[in-house]
Amino acid sequence: MPEIAPRTVTLRLNQQQLELLDRTLPRAGVTDRAELVRLALREAAEQEAAR
Amino acid sequence: MTRTLISEEIIAPGTGKAIELLKGQVLRIEQVEGGQCVDFNAFNLHDYKEFMHCGRTRTVHGFNPSAGTFLWSAPPRENAMMYFLADTVGRNDVLFPRCSAFLYESAYGFHDHTNCHDIQAEAQREYGLTPDDVHDSFNFFMFTEVEVGGTVKIDRQSSKPGDHVELLALMDVLAVPNVCGADVMRTSNFSLKPIRVSVFQASAEDLAQVPALPRLASQRTPAQFRNPTIKATRELTRDPAYRPEFTNAPIREETLEVALSGEEAAMLDRLARRELYGDDDGAALRDVLFSWWETRFLTAANGAPSMETDAAG
Ligand SMILES: [Zn+2]
Repeated sequence: MPEIAPRTVTLRLNQQQLELLDRTLPRAGVTDRAELVRLALREAAEQEAAR
Repeated sequence: MTRTLISEEIIAPGTGKAIELLKGQVLRIEQVEGGQCVDFNAFNLHDYKEFMHCGRTRTVHGFNPSAGTFLWSAPPRENAMMYFLADTVGRNDVLFPRCSAFLYESAYGFHDHTNCHDIQAEAQREYGLTPDDVHDSFNFFMFTEVEVGGTVKIDRQSSKPGDHVELLALMDVLAVPNVCGADVMRTSNFSLKPIRVSVFQASAEDLAQVPALPRLASQRTPAQFRNPTIKATRELTRDPAYRPEFTNAPIREETLEVALSGEEAAMLDRLARRELYGDDDGAALRDVLFSWWETRFLTAANGAPSMETDAAG
């Protein structure tokens, strides 16, 4: 299987969505928004694989 | 403290009764002959603008609420008005609105016919309410089902004499049960029968059954309304002094750059809902993010105030 290249994705988020992300940071044990998004992606992929 | 009987009456076919039910009192609605649908509404006794809301109730408890659920008031109050203490049948409806004169005229050609809207209106007129103040009813003993494809069907019911539901008032309410007027539909097995309605002072055991609920800041009172005055005229006229104050408006979007490794990019490609978002990676990743948040952190299913978490603030 060919390697997939790293890439940067741009999310558009409003002030309410950002507020929820910021309140979630300590609960998820991460310190910045992008790290939280990557955590969500990895955990969602794990759940998908476990299904 | 044992349960004590305060009052009891028979509600005749074609009629309903507005009953003052104080906090800590139990209303029992009981089958006399069996097979009778009972439509029900409730208002805050001290503020009729707060009323039981079937939409809120079915969102929280589903299409067939039974014992162990609450009857909620409409936004922006969203208080648990009553606790559903007992239900010997376990079949109720919150999908259908009260039946109305229009239904019996349009479908059956009746000029005059018993119908729940008019019965509710006539019963609550005792307290100064108008026909416009009737709300969608909680329909006890009514057997309905949602079919694949989304249509809803009414079927016959199997309640027997003595079958009953019991509602505990969590605030002072005006409770309005009525004998459903539908005799030409299967709702009440094609006949109209009396219903027994009893009011009890709740026992300690009754009160102990009610699950604790958080008190949330969003459960508002009229004191928090920008316009707390009940409108007293029918005509709608524009307020020239009106300036909109919508919450959090204007909505402003910002961008968040997220660098993905090759492995993470492959994960996104596996998870992305391309049928919805096409090649918009940002929208696909935002969906992954908030879907993940729901599975990880959402405890209040369908917007129900969580009974596990504490009230914020
Ligand atoms: Zn009816």
